[in-house]
Amino acid sequence: MSYRLPQQSGEWIDRNLTFSFSFEGKTYQACNGDTVSSALWASGVRVLGRSFKYHRPRGVLSLANHDINVMLENGIDINLRADVLPVTAGMKLDAVNTAGGVVKDYLSVLGWLAPFLPAGFYYKAFHRPRLLFPFWENIIRRMAGLGVMNPKAPRLVSPKTNLHCDVLVVGGGPAGMNAALVAAKQGARVILVDENARLGGTLGYDSSSGLGPGQQLEQLCEEIEAHADIEVHLSSYAAGYYADHLLPLIGPEGMAKVRTRQLIVASGAYEQPAVFRNNDLPGIMLGSAAQRLIQRYAVKPFERGVVLAGNEQAWRVALDLLAAGVELAAVIDLRMDPPPAGLIPPAVLVYSGYCIYEAVGSSGLEGVWACPWDGQGNADQSRAIYIPCDGIAMSVGWAPASALLYQAGAKMKYDEDCQQFVPDSLPPGVHAAGRVNGIYGLADSLADGERAALGALGLSSVINLLPASQASHPWPLVEHPKAKNFVDFDEDLQLKDFATAAQEGFNNIELMKRFTTVGMGPSQGKHSNMNAIRVLARLRDEPIQRVGSTTARPFFHPVPMGHLAGRSFHPVRHTPLHGWHQQHEASFTYVGAWQRPAWYGPDKATAIVNEVRAVRHAAGLIDVGTLGKFELRGLEAGEFLERFYTGHFLQQKIGTTRYALLLDESGVITDDGVVARLAEDFYYVTASTSNAAAVYREMTRCLQLWGLEVTIVNLTGSYAAFNIAGPLSRQLMEGLTTADLKQISNGGAIETQVAGQQARVMNVRFVSDLAYEVHAPAQSILSIWQALVEAGQSCGLKPFGIDAQRLLRLEMGHFIVGHDTDGLTHPFEAGLDWALAKDKTFYIGQRSLKIKANKPLTKKLVGFTLPHPPANLPDECTLVLEQGRIAGRVTSIAFSPTLGQVIGLAYVAPEAGIAGKRFVIRHQDGSDVAAIVSKLPFSGAAA
Amino acid sequence: MKLLKCPVNGLRPIDEFAYGGELREMPDPQSCSDGEWADYVFNRTGAPGVKPEWWYHIPSGTWFVAERNTVTDMVERTYFRGEA
Amino acid sequence: MPYRLIKFAFSKQHPEAAFFRQPAQIRDSYDAVIIGGGGHGLAAAYYLARDHGITNVAVLERGYLGGGNTGRNTTIIRSNYLTPEGVAFYDASVKIWENLSQELDLNLFYSNRGHFTLAHTESAMRTMRWRAEVNKQMGVKSEVLGPDDIQQACPQIDLSCAGHAPILGALYHAPGSVARHDGVAWGYGRAASQMGVEIFQNTEVTGLDIRGGRIHGVQTNRGNIKTGKVLSAVAGFTPRITQMAGIRTPIVIHPLQACVTEPMKPWLNTILVSGSLHVYVSQSSRGELVMGAALDPYELHSTRSTLDFVEGLSSHILDMFPFLSGIKVVRQWAGMADMTPDFAPIMGRTPVAGFYLDAGWGTWGFKATPISGKTMAETMARDQEPELIDAFRLSRFREFELTGEKGAAAVGH
Repeated sequence: MSYRLPQQSGEWIDRNLTFSFSFEGKTYQACNGDTVSSALWASGVRVLGRSFKYHRPRGVLSLANHDINVMLENGIDINLRADVLPVTAGMKLDAVNTAGGVVKDYLSVLGWLAPFLPAGFYYKAFHRPRLLFPFWENIIRRMAGLGVMNPKAPRLVSPKTNLHCDVLVVGGGPAGMNAALVAAKQGARVILVDENARLGGTLGYDSSSGLGPGQQLEQLCEEIEAHADIEVHLSSYAAGYYADHLLPLIGPEGMAKVRTRQLIVASGAYEQPAVFRNNDLPGIMLGSAAQRLIQRYAVKPFERGVVLAGNEQAWRVALDLLAAGVELAAVIDLRMDPPPAGLIPPAVLVYSGYCIYEAVGSSGLEGVWACPWDGQGNADQSRAIYIPCDGIAMSVGWAPASALLYQAGAKMKYDEDCQQFVPDSLPPGVHAAGRVNGIYGLADSLADGERAALGALGLSSVINLLPASQASHPWPLVEHPKAKNFVDFDEDLQLKDFATAAQEGFNNIELMKRFTTVGMGPSQGKHSNMNAIRVLARLRDEPIQRVGSTTARPFFHPVPMGHLAGRSFHPVRHTPLHGWHQQHEASFTYVGAWQRPAWYGPDKATAIVNEVRAVRHAAGLIDVGTLGKFELRGLEAGEFLERFYTGHFLQQKIGTTRYALLLDESGVITDDGVVARLAEDFYYVTASTSNAAAVYREMTRCLQLWGLEVTIVNLTGSYAAFNIAGPLSRQLMEGLTTADLKQISNGGAIETQVAGQQARVMNVRFVSDLAYEVHAPAQSILSIWQALVEAGQSCGLKPFGIDAQRLLRLEMGHFIVGHDTDGLTHPFEAGLDWALAKDKTFYIGQRSLKIKANKPLTKKLVGFTLPHPPANLPDECTLVLEQGRIAGRVTSIAFSPTLGQVIGLAYVAPEAGIAGKRFVIRHQDGSDVAAIVSKLPFSGAAA
Repeated sequence: MKLLKCPVNGLRPIDEFAYGGELREMPDPQSCSDGEWADYVFNRTGAPGVKPEWWYHIPSGTWFVAERNTVTDMVERTYFRGEA
Repeated sequence: MPYRLIKFAFSKQHPEAAFFRQPAQIRDSYDAVIIGGGGHGLAAAYYLARDHGITNVAVLERGYLGGGNTGRNTTIIRSNYLTPEGVAFYDASVKIWENLSQELDLNLFYSNRGHFTLAHTESAMRTMRWRAEVNKQMGVKSEVLGPDDIQQACPQIDLSCAGHAPILGALYHAPGSVARHDGVAWGYGRAASQMGVEIFQNTEVTGLDIRGGRIHGVQTNRGNIKTGKVLSAVAGFTPRITQMAGIRTPIVIHPLQACVTEPMKPWLNTILVSGSLHVYVSQSSRGELVMGAALDPYELHSTRSTLDFVEGLSSHILDMFPFLSGIKVVRQWAGMADMTPDFAPIMGRTPVAGFYLDAGWGTWGFKATPISGKTMAETMARDQEPELIDAFRLSRFREFELTGEKGAAAVGH
């Protein structure tokens, strides 16, 4: 049968637009605007989901995403929340985590096993015998979890936006709407966000207040819409509060990151369930859920029901139910108070001072046992009354939606008058309004919104305008010897589980949370934390204020990773020669963000051999535009370099280059490069590709520290460079320049024209004794490169990549920082004593080396050859063993086509590091490979 | 994302900055003992509180000092070293 | 159905004793005081009592048991470190872990999953080789695997990482495991308590009584305690305690963040770490994906969360697992990691006689819980460190003899 009501004045559904969808294989009708839960409830479906642990049937509880009774999967997405998931045409949905469907879930047998599975049961069993644990674990893992993830689901790319405003108002209920309006009228740019599809909050469903979805709401909505400075985000939630007022708003399409000057949290309160046996049966729902069903979706919550009352709200719910045609069997009031004037329903049985002791039913509510009680959890069963009914609306208390306030650093206090936590102190720029503040009632809420807005604009400084205004029952929990009185619906936690936890020593709110897992489920305690705190306070015989609350971490509602990721951003850097490399079959490799040619041509092995051969017998060209490139100008530039690097630069002759070794303060090698002195007060410095940014950064820091008269310009991006190496390199270069390159053959540097372009040419002998590094502005490098390629076409010039470069420099016996050194290597270990100036008063790392020099070396970098190389060479980073102990490791190894043998660099014990001595490498396959220490450079390498 | 005030570029999101560690005074390497030097190189004032720190604004290449509370993450002031 | 649960179901009265005795009063003096009621402190108390017969011990915890980094880490246990000293130490820990549930009679859900450290660059592959070779040499099961093996162990992974950072291989460490972090503190706490150790929560140390270069007691918010031996095992709070002791250390606190998704049915059976993408992920026995990333870049004594952390992490996780874009992150949190320059801990005696340090646990402390407890107990009992932790002595910095674990731990966890 249909539970759809006649048209309600403010309903959210569009009856003219209907479609069908399927749930658990059956087809149902929905109106546009329905959520899955409202459509199913309207169709009379009562078992919408199954609980996590005992697989109990569950229906609507909050209809507000404050519980996860109803979670769905559609083949792609899992754990969809039916209460807030809008129905679209043709949806095919199933409940998650059932065995045999939601109606006949055979795992509901677990309910019978509940006594065997107390809170924390998994700590107490399954670990003996140890070998059986994987068996048990496998079962437990498969029983746990919710939806079944689909590995074929597509990656969704959602956009991210950045927004700025003066005032962000979270929550579009009466307090929030009024706050937004007041702030905007004062000239502030306002963003108003609400997780619902429409503005209004309680104003949209709490109609018996007499002000309901009538004129007041329409008027507020119209004013907000008309105001140019209010930007409204609906179906969006503020997922968390982050430093300096940054809040991500999560909408259906993606994330908007809002940076606001002032934040007003008008996020309302979560209605809290009463705790009694079988309080989770389908048909038992929060009063506000019943109101939402009626007013938003025009769905009759049940046929014949009772209202469980703990506060004034309950009486409004009773009136709403009557108006919706529900047969109201009784109002069961936990308190002895008479019903509030003006809210007394006509001709309804009222049981004051009664509780619900137990609900009865199997897959849906059939009736309740009501008993008089002491208000402390103990029912007098001798006077029990049975009331047949198919629904209960519970209105017994509230908990503030204060997650954002906590995250912002607010302190909360427990207000005994309204039995709710309310803000005690708020951090600068953060304001609270409405129910989260303990302010109930329309007029009060509107006034509190206004007060918060004025506070945000610096026109008021009071936290609470009014004392908290609605009292609820302090203890809406009823003991039952047979339990199944649920406190946490996500985790199937019963009242007795808390006593168990406390008895076992977990009587601190955080320990109790961890032991019982209360509040750790997907709804993060929205409907359970408050009752858990009450229970613990009673167990400890302390006021709630002293028990405190657990930390409310982000997120407010869970956020899809696709929204968080947005469009992934992967920056890549290319040199100006990149296009040329692409046209010439380069295979690229990443060096940091740079893409560099590794080799050219289809086959790696042949390519590398041919490239090496070209450098040794003709000439080769390599793009080194990724190097760090810096200009240092000023009278104290030499002094600066003298302090920065280990070598001498003050006496460096103009037109020469020098090796530059950089250490950190502890004497560890961090980078190396080349310093060219181009004029008295002008040095040009290179740094390695991967350290370029760090070296520049450290240079500028030292400059500020030392206060020297130097200007440093970073040309890493605006200059490009290549190296031409090999016996024919001078000849080829001389064809393109008028400069006398012989003049710089021994480590010189000049500024000249190459192929008609201004360039800096340095003799840098990293891969070959005869080699020139050409540095030029990025826009001119390609023409020089192309001119050389053209000139070299006939004599065997080839471009080479970094794989050949690694081999060529190895033949030369040069190490690479970071490849042949690690995070603790100092110059003595790397054999770089020669690079350390002995007579300087200061350079970075010098004082530490003085300490290290007095300590015995533990390893030493040496060259080696393999007399009997195995077919499959030892990998780089295989170990060097000395009598079975680790003495060092291989850092570089390769077959040298030039030398016709395997060569490498390795750390060995210092006493073993003498040319001609043998040592042992432990091959990755476990065998031992003999190696012989060799002098560097490997003889016959350089050409 | 937190905001940090660069003395040149004003308030910018913190991902534009690099942290350079505590501002430390180097002892005279000539006269200090090995122990004093090792203390300078490795040890830090790890206890929470307001400390002067090196910060670097990456896009503009600006080093400056920020006095920051390492518990609350509130920055009390920023300035160039030597301009304290 | 295990017997314990049957007994539980048929007991009228609650059958389980309280885990911890919670004496109302702190006594005036103890043979030893342990500052910090996390895994490390409680383990040290346990081994002091079990191995050395020292049971007149107070454990002081400023918050609640296991509420610091014990309850905030991502529970990965492994021993595939880079230095021989590190490998030997963590391997000794793994060996205790393997039988710890039985020893403490508490199911810690010690779950052997296998641990993959993914390499996306040649240089990362070299580091994997280095670690594998050192591990093998030390008798620890680690090997370098190729992309096919990774695909086999985790068929869902996109080896190309959306084309941005193709996976070239991995270091595979078969003993890699996860465990229930809270349970570790509770198990050690219970076992120590049963042997007479007294545990005090909500008890904050406010000062140390040091005279003549020796410790004589501690001051707390609940009064003063006389003792000749004090262990500081407080991770992110170490600088506050060492400041009271007048000891300078290299420790700097950085937040380490993590997050967890909604539960889903099991599909990820291994632990995956990617250094290049700065993420690690495993699936808990509850079905949640537990994920973490690199350390926060600057010093902060706070457990606040940041949005950029979870944005960057999600982006990188989706590079590996594009089908997770609809999976929701439920909760994020942070711990305070006590970082050292060489990514190795600081353990043992200090310049103050009788005051011992168990610190510098950065992002690698959870896995060391059993062995650090055992070795620190021995250090306290004998006033002498066992050889296993010699490389982690505080004086190594003064001596310029750092341990060099940075290469392995920088991406680890």
